[in-house]
Amino acid sequence: MKTETSGKLPVNEFNQPDKGVSLTLDAWRRLKKNRMAMAGLVIVVFFILISILAPVLPIYSFTEQVIDHQYLPPSLLKNAGELYYERTLGQMNALAEKEKRELNREELAALDEIKYRIVNETAVINGREVKIHERRYLFGTDYLGRDMLARVIYGGQISIAIGFVGTITSVLIGIILGAIAGYLGGKVDYIIMRVVDVIYGLPYMMLVIIFMAIFGRNIINLFVALAVVSWLTVARVVRGQIMSLKNSEFVEAARSSGASTMRIIFRHLLPNTLGVIIVFTTLRIPTFIMLEAFLSFLGLGISAPLASWGSLVGHAVDGMNLYPWRLFFPAAAMTLFLFGMNFLGDGLRDAFDPQGKNKF
Amino acid sequence: MIGTNDAILNVNNLKTHFRTDEGIVKAVDGVTFSLRKGETLGFVGESGCGKSVTNLSLMKLIPSPPGRIVDGEVLFHDRDILKMKENEIRGIRGNKISMIFQDPMTSLNPFLKISTQLVETIILHQKKNETEARKRAIEMLELVGIPAPAKRIDSYPHQFSGGMRQRVMIAMALSCNPEILIADEPTTALDVTIQAQILELIKALSEKLGTATILITHDLGVVAGMCDTLNVMYAGRIIEKSDVSTLFSDPRHPYTRGLIKSVPRLDKKTGQKLYSIKGQPPNMIGMPECCPFHPRCEHTMDICRRSYPAAVVTESGNSVSCWLYHTLPYEGGVK
Repeated sequence: MKTETSGKLPVNEFNQPDKGVSLTLDAWRRLKKNRMAMAGLVIVVFFILISILAPVLPIYSFTEQVIDHQYLPPSLLKNAGELYYERTLGQMNALAEKEKRELNREELAALDEIKYRIVNETAVINGREVKIHERRYLFGTDYLGRDMLARVIYGGQISIAIGFVGTITSVLIGIILGAIAGYLGGKVDYIIMRVVDVIYGLPYMMLVIIFMAIFGRNIINLFVALAVVSWLTVARVVRGQIMSLKNSEFVEAARSSGASTMRIIFRHLLPNTLGVIIVFTTLRIPTFIMLEAFLSFLGLGISAPLASWGSLVGHAVDGMNLYPWRLFFPAAAMTLFLFGMNFLGDGLRDAFDPQGKNKF
Repeated sequence: MIGTNDAILNVNNLKTHFRTDEGIVKAVDGVTFSLRKGETLGFVGESGCGKSVTNLSLMKLIPSPPGRIVDGEVLFHDRDILKMKENEIRGIRGNKISMIFQDPMTSLNPFLKISTQLVETIILHQKKNETEARKRAIEMLELVGIPAPAKRIDSYPHQFSGGMRQRVMIAMALSCNPEILIADEPTTALDVTIQAQILELIKALSEKLGTATILITHDLGVVAGMCDTLNVMYAGRIIEKSDVSTLFSDPRHPYTRGLIKSVPRLDKKTGQKLYSIKGQPPNMIGMPECCPFHPRCEHTMDICRRSYPAAVVTESGNSVSCWLYHTLPYEGGVK
C-alpha cells in the first residue's frame, strides 16, 4: 500500500493564517474561475489601455488629412504610395478599356508624376518633415484620407469615456437619490419616486435630443444629457435594496450605538448593495455606448473632427459597398468591446450572487 | 424598598403606540420602573407583550412612523431622553446606554470587518484615535473571550460562529463603558451551552464594570439565575414587579403564577401534562378599559372587566396590579 500525495493539492500543515475574506474578495475569486468573464476582462482592459495610451502610441494623427490617400483599402504590406499608384492605374485602365483604347500620353504623364511624387513628396507633420507616401494604413483611410486605425482608436477613446463617465454619473445620482428615498421613506421617498416615475414616462431619446438641441452639441452636454435620463433605474434598484436592508438588525444595532442617518446609509447600507451596483454598472456601460452610437449615427452626437465608434459607423454607411473597411473596423471594435463588457458583467453577476443564477 | 435616589434611570408612565391599518396598537401603555446602578433588571412576558418596545423607547429607537411615544418620561440622570435633540441622543446611544440584540447572525454588518465595526463605535464616542481605538477593541475582544483577538479582529462576521458573534456584540456594547446595558433576548438564537456561557459572561462583565443591566427574555430560567429584580409584563403593562426570590417563592399575579407553573421541572413526575395558560394573548387594537388578562384568568371578577387595577404594594415591598389584592367592599375583599 502506497499513500499518494498529489502534487497539486496542498498538504494541510495547520498553519494557514486567519485572513479576513470580504465578500468582494470572495466574488473576485469566483470571477477568476469564470473563463468567459476573464476573457471579457482582458478585452476590456486591453481597449481601455489602448484608449489611454493613444497619444503616445505610434499611430498617425486622427485629424491629419491627405487628399491623395482618400479611400485607400487596408493593407499590411504595401505602403500608401503603392496603393495610391495602383488605384490610379486601375482607374485609368478601366476607363481606357471602356473606351477601347490604350493609355494616352496625358495619362501616362500623370502616372509618371505620381511615381515621382511618391518617391519625393514630403509633408510637415508635427514639425517634422516626413515622406508622406511611405505611410502604411493598417485599417485603410476614410473619405478625407485620414487614417482609420487612428480614428478607430480615438473614436474608441470617446465612446469608452462616454460609457464610463456617463454610467458613473448616472449611477452616482441614482445611488444617492435611491438610498435616501429608500432609507428615509415617507414623504421624501414619495417625492423622489414620483419624479422618477414622471421622467420614466417621458421618451428618453426625445429628452436627450431636445437637450442637445437646446444646449448645443458638445461632449459635455452629451454626458449630461445621457446621465440625466438614465439614473432612474439605478435609483429604483438601489431603493429596493435599501428598503429590504433597512430593517435588518445590524442597522438597528448601528442606530443603537449612536450612528447618524447619513453614516448608516453610506457606511452600513450602501456597501451591502455594492454587488448589485457593480453588476448593474458593468451591464449599463454597453447600453451607454450603444446610446451614444445611436445618437452619433443620427448625427446628434460627436461632431467632426472628433470621432466615436457611432459616428464612424454612421459615416461609413454611405459607401458601404465600395469601401467596406470603413464600416468593418469601427463596428468590429465596438462589437468586441461590447461582447467583452457583457461577458464581464455576466461573470460579475454570477460572482456576486453565487446562489441564484441569473437572478438579476 | 426601591430607592429612587440612587436610581440612574427612571421611567414614568411611558406610552408607545403604533398606528396600523386596523387601528392604534398600544404596545406600551403606561410603564413605570426605575433602575439602580449595578442592578440587573429582568423583563419577562409572552411574545408581543411590549418588552422590546419598552426598551427601544428608552433610547427613542422606535421606527417612526408608524410608532410614536405619546406620553411619559425617561429620566436618565434626571434628564428626559425623550425631550433631547437627535444628536444629543446619539451621544448617549452606544456610549451611556448600549444594546445587545436577539440575533447575532444579523446584528453585525456582513460587509464590514469586525475591527471596523468595533473601532467605529469607540472613535465615535470616546474621542480616541485609530490606534488607541483598535487597542481598546482588541482588549474588549480579549475580555469577552475571543481567542487570539489581535489576529481575529480583521475577520468578517461570516467567519465567526453565532456564539462568537454574540461575544463581539457584547464587546461592542461594553466598549464605551456604558452605564446601562440593554440585552434584548441575547441568547434566544444560541444553543443551550453557548447560552449559559453568554449569560455568565454578561453577568460577570456587568459586575466587573459596574454596569446596570436590563435583560429582556421569556425564559424564566434565565431570569432566575441572572436578575435582582423582575418586571412581568402583559399587554403593554407591568403587572407584577418583584425581587427574584419572592417572585418564584410567592408569585402574586395569576398570570405570573401561570407562567411559573408552565415551566417544565425536573422534580415533576414523568408522563404528567405540562401546565399552560389557556387562551391567547389579547389583540392589542382597541382594547377596552379592563384588566387585559381577565379572559384567561382563573379568578375573574366583575370589576376585572370594567377597569384596570392600580398597583398594590405587598408586604414584601413588591407591587402587583390585580384586583385580588384590592380591598373591595362590594366584592368581598382579598380572596
